[in-house]
Formats: sequence, structure tokens, C-alpha cells
Amino acid sequence: MKKNVKVLMLGWEFPPFLTGGLGVACQGLAEALSRYAEIEVFLPQTEKPLRTEGLTLRGMNWFGLPDEPGADMEIPLRPLEEFARIRRMPVSVPRPYPLGIGIEKEAVALRTPEAIRALYSGAEPYGPNIMQKVATYTEVAVRMAMETDFDLIHAHDWLTFPAAIRIRELSGKPLVLHVHSLESDRVGIEACGDWNSVYEVEKKAMETADRIIPVSRYTQECATRYYGIPEGRFYPVHNAINPEDSFRIENRSGEKLVLFLGRVTFQKGPEFMVETAWKLLQVYPNVLFFVAGVGDMLERLKALVLERKIDHKFVFAGFLSQSNVKKVLAQADVYFMPSVSEPFGLSALEAAQYDVPCVISKQSGVAEVLPNALNADFWDTGKFANYIYGLLNYDGIRKDMVEKTKEDLAKLSWDESARDVMEVYHSLGI
Amino acid sequence: MTDICLIFQVHQPYRLKDFPFDKIGKDHTYENTAHNTAILNRVSDRCYLPANRILLEAIKRFDGRLKVAFSVTGTALEQFFRYRPDVLDSFRDLSNTGCVEFLAETYYHSLASLHSPSEFRRQVVKHEKAVQSLLDVKPTVLRNTELLYADSMLPAIEALGFRTILTEGKKGNMSEGNPNEIHTSPDGKCRILVRNQELSDAISFPGTPLKAADYAGKLTKEAGSSICICLDYETFGEHQKQESGILDFLGRLPEETLKHSGLRFALPSDAALDGPDQKPVYHSPEWTSWSDEVKDLSAWYDNHMQKDAQKQLFNCELSLLSLGKPELFDAWGRLQSSDHFYHMSTRYSRDPVHKAFNPYASPYDAYLNFMNVLSDFRGLIHKG
Repeated sequence: MKKNVKVLMLGWEFPPFLTGGLGVACQGLAEALSRYAEIEVFLPQTEKPLRTEGLTLRGMNWFGLPDEPGADMEIPLRPLEEFARIRRMPVSVPRPYPLGIGIEKEAVALRTPEAIRALYSGAEPYGPNIMQKVATYTEVAVRMAMETDFDLIHAHDWLTFPAAIRIRELSGKPLVLHVHSLESDRVGIEACGDWNSVYEVEKKAMETADRIIPVSRYTQECATRYYGIPEGRFYPVHNAINPEDSFRIENRSGEKLVLFLGRVTFQKGPEFMVETAWKLLQVYPNVLFFVAGVGDMLERLKALVLERKIDHKFVFAGFLSQSNVKKVLAQADVYFMPSVSEPFGLSALEAAQYDVPCVISKQSGVAEVLPNALNADFWDTGKFANYIYGLLNYDGIRKDMVEKTKEDLAKLSWDESARDVMEVYHSLGI
Repeated sequence: MTDICLIFQVHQPYRLKDFPFDKIGKDHTYENTAHNTAILNRVSDRCYLPANRILLEAIKRFDGRLKVAFSVTGTALEQFFRYRPDVLDSFRDLSNTGCVEFLAETYYHSLASLHSPSEFRRQVVKHEKAVQSLLDVKPTVLRNTELLYADSMLPAIEALGFRTILTEGKKGNMSEGNPNEIHTSPDGKCRILVRNQELSDAISFPGTPLKAADYAGKLTKEAGSSICICLDYETFGEHQKQESGILDFLGRLPEETLKHSGLRFALPSDAALDGPDQKPVYHSPEWTSWSDEVKDLSAWYDNHMQKDAQKQLFNCELSLLSLGKPELFDAWGRLQSSDHFYHMSTRYSRDPVHKAFNPYASPYDAYLNFMNVLSDFRGLIHKG
């Protein structure tokens, strides 16, 4: 296909720098899209600058170095007249990312190349200075965009939305928003108010954008319900997964393994996992809950498990590397995702790829592409326990779910998602 | 002269209650009686009573020229006996006209024929006794659950003393391809009536509102000595609501049919005696049923869950025989109803015909609920 569409993509996470599904999805989509369009991605951090056929990655951790953007720029950058309105962060609610305490309330963008490079060279894509990172990203991205030739802007999640709105204003090019998650998912619906700058940014961006791509119909419904965005503005495109040769490792522990994989935050419903585990263990003790991930609720989760006297049935493995995740998946008997609000839930696809039957909440976008997973409302721990009990005790259901899920996975591909996104581009007359 | 056999299946299973895993070993009642009775009452008032009334009136009006056959499962008879004696009375009134025949089948609408010839035999005998004691007639024609049939069943059928059976007019099984003839089994010992799929489905799944005159017209165009129209009795007023005009169709059908001099109604046992001496052969090396397009076992015995559940269930037989407790045998029989396995079908889970009456949100839910019940039941056997 002729690659005549030039896309300026604004992203935040990109492998190997990631904490969750956002980076994986951004990479999967950008790579697949590069077969149909010229994709240039602005990121806070890349492993190295990348220029391949169709795909260019520009990391701000390289900003100002020879042959990189900013090398010839006037230094220091002039502050933008109208800095995107990120001034306050809601600090009274639990934060989804490991931000730590003492989040700055006022953010000032950094302007020297050295300071910009240093800001994005750490291991933490978020952290307590997240607002400074976003503010700086906004100014740098706008400058870089002025030097770039593109037909449209495609921005992933709120961190890039201030830059996206500004670039749209300055360039007059259409803006496509890609919504991987919302404040209503990450923090909860109590975070939806104009006192929350992140909520405000999301709302303004969705109101301004020419097209909105939510990662599921579920996310679309959340945007309508909690942000008041009219239904007709959405073009949902599901995430996908690259085919991979999965493997199984025999679990010799004698105990069945139920896997929880993801950030241990309010959004992922860890409390409902404990409640489910407790109900299951009253009847069926031969099971171990393996928790892979960190987050602001980890300590609370450990305390809960102790309180319920089921701590000997839990393993807290912390954050696992991709290769270790795969080893655990290869031994798991059930993948359990009781998320309170999950826009998509890529890790469930990964589990499915490893032939692990999934028990997931109905408040999960991924349920739309995994019709052969078992689902219940996130609070319905009795039903979750019943499902897990069944999967651990009855052979028939495991075999059928795995077989049918293979067929469901075969229907998903990043190429298919990319072609859906191209149709959204074309709908803009591009 | 062409014989028209109207054969209606009447069945109500014992649907399981919601039985989560924490009830295993603690709760040994598996059914929600209030729920089952509510459905029984609804179907009785919408279908069984009004349809029986229509048929009884027509039999009287046409002086016995209307003839109808029913196959009523044991689980339905039992529930009528307990909760709706008025329905049982109305079937008895029909039976007393001498124009109505009742067929033999498995007591619990069971799939036993697939797994255990001995249990199949026990159930046919149990059903026969129930029909005799409740309706005062002795069945002479056998129809297996869901019209399941394979040549391999013949020894069991013949040992039970049946010489006439009813099964599906599945293409490929009929040596001359015409369902409107009485067939014979390959060993020549049994007469086989076969269901006319097209004409039966024309009533069960009408595209446009049915007109009795048009339907009778269709009957005259069929070649052959006898036409078996065989469907769920619940079609009349339950599957298709009264507003669709289905009960009026039933009321008009006898008159419109008898207008044609070449057509007459016949009981299956009488129709089976007609036809030429040299009958076409019905040959079913594989299992045949009346379900879906494929007419095989796939609605009940297809995926891992269905096979696993039935294997575990029928594995109980030996232990039950050694225990010899009738109440456990009864509970076991109720779990054999094909309905439980039908709801586990993944192949057809989006088919509207399969969705009707399905109390479960998914085939997985159906399987898990059944398996939890079965786990408890096996615990009871284990305890003795």
C-alpha cells in the first residue's frame, strides 16, 4: 500500500520503558501502522533513536544531541504562551502509578537540553515530578512538531494530550485521540471533577479531538458516562497481541496456581482477589495465589491477607521481567483479573496465549474479544470463587475454554487493528 | 390414501437450582421446585390445557377421524401428577377417546442409550409403567429421547419387545430417500417410522404466519403412504405464543386436512402396519437425532464439557446398583435429562432455538452448575 499518510504520534510508554499495557499497545500499533503510513513517534524516552522504514522514534532523552531534534534550536526554549492547564494534581486519592508522596502542585517545564535529557533518563516514567515531565514534554513536543511534516496527530493517553491539543491549534491538523485508560478507571469515579487536572485534560482533549479511539466499547461507555462525551464521536479499536510460541512448564508444587498479574492498585481490584481467595480456600485449600506486580495497595493487600489468615496461600513476587512473566504464565492454572475498571487488559490476552483460562471482571474491555473467558462483576467474589473452583476441579471446561479461546485469539492481530485505525484516518479525508 | 401421523413431544425436566461450589457436601437438594412449578404452570395454562381442549373438541367434532399421538416424558408425567392433576386429567380424557396413542420413551428424557443399554432398558420399562398407571394405556411404539437412534440400539429395542420405532428422516439413512414411507430395520425385525423434517419444521419454525389450508395443501403434494409430523407440543402456545395464531392453526388443521379425500389421520401403531411388503431400509450406522441441521449428537455430546459430564454421570451406575437405593437412582435419572447437556453446547450457544428456556448465561455456567451438583451426588454415593 502506498504510504502517503504522515502521522505524528505522541506516546508516553514504549518498550523497554513501560509499567503496563500502554507501552505494549503503543508499540504494537505503531509497528503495524508503519506498513500503511509514515509514523513518527515522540516519546519521553527511547532506548536509542530509531529510524526505520515507516517508523521513527524520537526520545526526548536524546534532545539537543547532534542529529537529534533540538540540536539547532534556540536555547533556552521560550515558554509557550498558553501552557496546557496542568497545575494541580489530586493528591487526596490513591494514585495508580508509583508517584510517591509530595507530588508537586505547580509544574514548570525545563528548557535546557541538558535538563530535558536528564529529566527523561531515569528508570521511572512517572514519579513525583510527573507534572514537570508532562509540562516539559508538552513544550518540547510542540517545538519538535514545528520542525516536522505531518498530516495528523495521534496521541496516546492524557500525558500527551496537552501537547496534542496545542499542536492541533498551531498546525491546524486533525487530532486523533487514543484512549487506553481514563481517570475514572485508574483512580475511580470519585476522581472525576474539575478539581482534578488530569480529568480536566482528558475531558478537554476528548471535547476538542476530531476522532476518539477507545480501546474498547467499555471505555467508550466510561467516556460517555463520566466525561459527557457524545456517543457518536467514538471509533473503538481493540488491542491485539503478536503471535508467539507459548510453552507449558509442569507445576510440581502439587498446589494449583492462580495468577494475578498487574499493578497492585485500586483499579485492579486486589481486595476482591483476597475476598475471592478466602471464599475458595474455605472449601478448597489446594491452591496458591501468585501476585506479580507492585503498586500503592501492595502493603494493604499483604495486611489483608494476614488478617484473613491466608497469608501462607499467597506469594508476592513483585515486579517481574517479561521472561519471568512467561515462566509463571506457563505454570499457571487460572489467570484472575478482578479489575474494578479495566479499559482493555492486555495481560489477559497474554495469559490466553499461554493456554491459561481467564477469569475476568465484566468491567474489562478485553472481555469483548475473549468471549470464552469467564466473567463476573468485580464485586461478585462468590461467582469468581465458583469459577476458579470449577476450572481447578473439572477438566471439561478448561479444555473447551482453551480451544475456543485459541480461535478467538486467531481473530486478533495488530495488523487488523492498524487497518481499523487507518479507516479512522481516512474518515478525516486523509 | 396417505396417513398423517401427528406426534407431539411433551417434556418438562427438573431444572437445577443455582448450585455454587460451597454447597457441595452440604446441600443435597438440586432443584428449585418453585421455579420448576412456575414454568410448569405457565406452560400448562398457555399450551397443554388449551391445546388438549382443542384436540378433544376436534376429535368429537370429526367423530374420531382425528388421531394424535403423544410422547410424554416421565418427568413431565410426574410433575403433572404432583402439581397439575388437571393437565393429567385432560390427557386422560384424550386417551379415553381411543383416538390418541402414547409412545414409549426413556423416563427421564435421558441420553442413556448412548452410554448404558441397561439403564436405557430400566428407563423405558419405568416409563411404560408410569404411562400405564397414569393414562391406562400400554405404549407399543418407541421413540427414544430426541429421536436418537443407531442400528446398534436394535438388540436392546427388540429385547424390550418393541417392533415399531420412530426416528428422524435423516437423508442418507433412508434407502430410497423418501421419509413418507414406513421403513424397516436392516435386520428386518423392526418397522421404522421416520419424521418428515420439512413438514415438521414448517410448524415449529414458520417464516410467515401459518395457514391450515395452505399446510393441508402441502400435505396432498407429498408422495408416500404415511407422513410423520413430529414436534414439541410446547410449540402450541409456549414456543410460539397464542398471539401468533398457532393455536388457531391447530384448531383448523383437522378440518382442512380432512377436506382432502386422499388424506386421513392415523395413529403411528396403525400407520406402521400399512405400506408395501417390500419396505425401504433405514440404516443408521452412526447416531441420528432430530436436532439442528446436522441431525446427529452434536447438540448434547460434542464438546469436552458435555463428554466429561456424561462420562462422570454414567460412571455412577455400578455404585448405584450395589447400593440399591431407589431415591439415589431417581436423583441419578433426573440428572440424565438431555436438557442439562443441551445447555452446555458451545457449538450452538448463539442459536435462538438453543437459547430458548436456557437458564444459563453461558455453556460454561451450565457445565459448572451441573458438575457441582454431580460432585455432591457422587459424595452421597460414596457415603453410601
